[in-house]
Amino acid sequence: MAIHLPRVQKRRPVCAQQRAANEQARKGMSPRARRQARAFYLFISPWLLGFIFLSIVPLLVGLLISFSNYDGLNLMEVKFVGLRNYTRAFGDTETQYALQRTALWTLLNTPLWLAISFGLAILMNQNVKGRGFFRTVFYLPSAVPVVATVWIWRIYLDKNYGLVNGLLGLIRPGTALPWLTDYALQSLTAISLWTGLGSGMVIFLAGLQGIPTELEEAARIDGANGWQVWRHVTLPLMTPVLFFQLVLAIISSLQAYVVPMLISPGSGNGLNNLPPRGVYLYMIHTFQQIFVFRRFGYGIALLWLLFILIIALTFIVFRTQRYWVYYETELEEKKA
Amino acid sequence: MTGIFPLSSRTTKQALTYLILGIVTTFILLPEVWLLVTSLKRNTEYLSPQLTFLPAVPQWANYAQVFTMIPFFNYVRNSLVLGASFTTLCVMSSSLAGYAFARIQAPGKNLLFSIVIALLMIPAIVTVIPQFVIFSQLGLTGTYWPWVLWGIGGSSFHIFLFRQFFMAFPRELEEAAELDGCSPFRVFLEIFLPNAQPVLATSAILNFMWVWSDWFNPLIFLSDANTTLAVKLNYAYVTPQGQQLTPVVLAACVLYVLAPVAMFFFGQKYILQGVVTTGLKG
Repeated sequence: MAIHLPRVQKRRPVCAQQRAANEQARKGMSPRARRQARAFYLFISPWLLGFIFLSIVPLLVGLLISFSNYDGLNLMEVKFVGLRNYTRAFGDTETQYALQRTALWTLLNTPLWLAISFGLAILMNQNVKGRGFFRTVFYLPSAVPVVATVWIWRIYLDKNYGLVNGLLGLIRPGTALPWLTDYALQSLTAISLWTGLGSGMVIFLAGLQGIPTELEEAARIDGANGWQVWRHVTLPLMTPVLFFQLVLAIISSLQAYVVPMLISPGSGNGLNNLPPRGVYLYMIHTFQQIFVFRRFGYGIALLWLLFILIIALTFIVFRTQRYWVYYETELEEKKA
Repeated sequence: MTGIFPLSSRTTKQALTYLILGIVTTFILLPEVWLLVTSLKRNTEYLSPQLTFLPAVPQWANYAQVFTMIPFFNYVRNSLVLGASFTTLCVMSSSLAGYAFARIQAPGKNLLFSIVIALLMIPAIVTVIPQFVIFSQLGLTGTYWPWVLWGIGGSSFHIFLFRQFFMAFPRELEEAAELDGCSPFRVFLEIFLPNAQPVLATSAILNFMWVWSDWFNPLIFLSDANTTLAVKLNYAYVTPQGQQLTPVVLAACVLYVLAPVAMFFFGQKYILQGVVTTGLKG
């Protein structure tokens, strides 16, 4: 079980091969190369068609709609309104509110998930009895579909009938904390940890197990104590995994919507119910615009803005890599 | 890895490890246990102001009501049909593309592969609403065609999964076959695919679980008559007077969760492998 780390080293042979292939193409392809190229494009054609018609075309159509007043029904008399949908987003206090809640939620969820799942992986990497049992238990919630997850937590945290308030009631009778409404953001974080700890732990554990034991042993022979080995050998070698997980956590936190949408007890069946204000996240706000108010133009403009925000954040996080992410190959490159 | 904690005693450290693992295990399992217990309560018992931890008499009738209140199996069948057709197509398309990216040389390959990687990052939420507009204009909403088309289009995640797997095969395999005059498709079909059972299983399980668990897409693309179990059970168990029968919903949830949980137990090795090799969340 080797984890895929974004190593520079690994890409090199592919680049060399590709360069040779391009060279070959310029000189005119050999019959074998031509056969290969034909086979390649034939093999990828279903995906390529899907990419064109299910990604590129919808992206362009979406872009067009975001510049229009399309409401789902007025296709014949649709008008283009320029950048109005985009400028509107900046003046919309509800959008700003949703963005604040999303930022808060991301700042709450991401570090907690990273820290706890990494901590669990460290514990599990010791000589633990019943490691298989714990791994199965921790990963189990990832297999539970989201609708069931929501129902499990609705009855667990219910203000009047939930187990959590019931147990708290043993200590302080009459406890009826409104977890799902007033503390919705905290509850959402708990649900998200419940679902995600297992997969995070599994990836970190694979990373830890991929660290060659010689490195740690060598440090020990040099007289490093347990903490020093961890701080100066193990942790640096884990930074690529941490980095990768950080990027994924940010991206998925910003897009959260199903659980917050369904979390409140009386929320009925679908897209038109309004979740508690605490979890009025950006995506919820966007889907409200589209499915409740039928403002397709404005809603898709909001989606594009989120998309741009995600790309910008990812880019920034990638730029911070050189300050804290350690790649083995960097040293070799400097030497060369 | 020993000695992270600056604690002198080995046993203290071990006790602490098991204590933390125990706390997390409780955090994970308690809600699940509460689901099972509550699914066996009477509705009045569930709604009583005095919280009871166990049902006075286990109400197995709740599980019978799951089937009598709605045509449960129709929705199971809808989920299965969607899941099976999407999974078959997606595994075929992704394994072909993954194989091509791993083993066949062609001009433009690197560019195309960077598109695959970029698509991993592009959130589906940006494309799903325009897709909804397009599909409804084409009259494809309310049908299973979107899942067929998504299946044919494959998935970046799974292409990546297959590529990683096929990269590890020795080069001599296809060289020998090519000398024998095998076409690239036959090499793929007769040499690589039969040796790819682990990754095929991983991909199939993950795809099927995705469709079975998905709530958002069936909600917006399908109608009430042909929707999946995920959508239906969320709001179906209501009395004619409009009262939600929570324990019956929970019993339905238990039955609904059985399929993915069983798949998880039998395919655990494959699922974890898939999650780890791609380094992505399931």
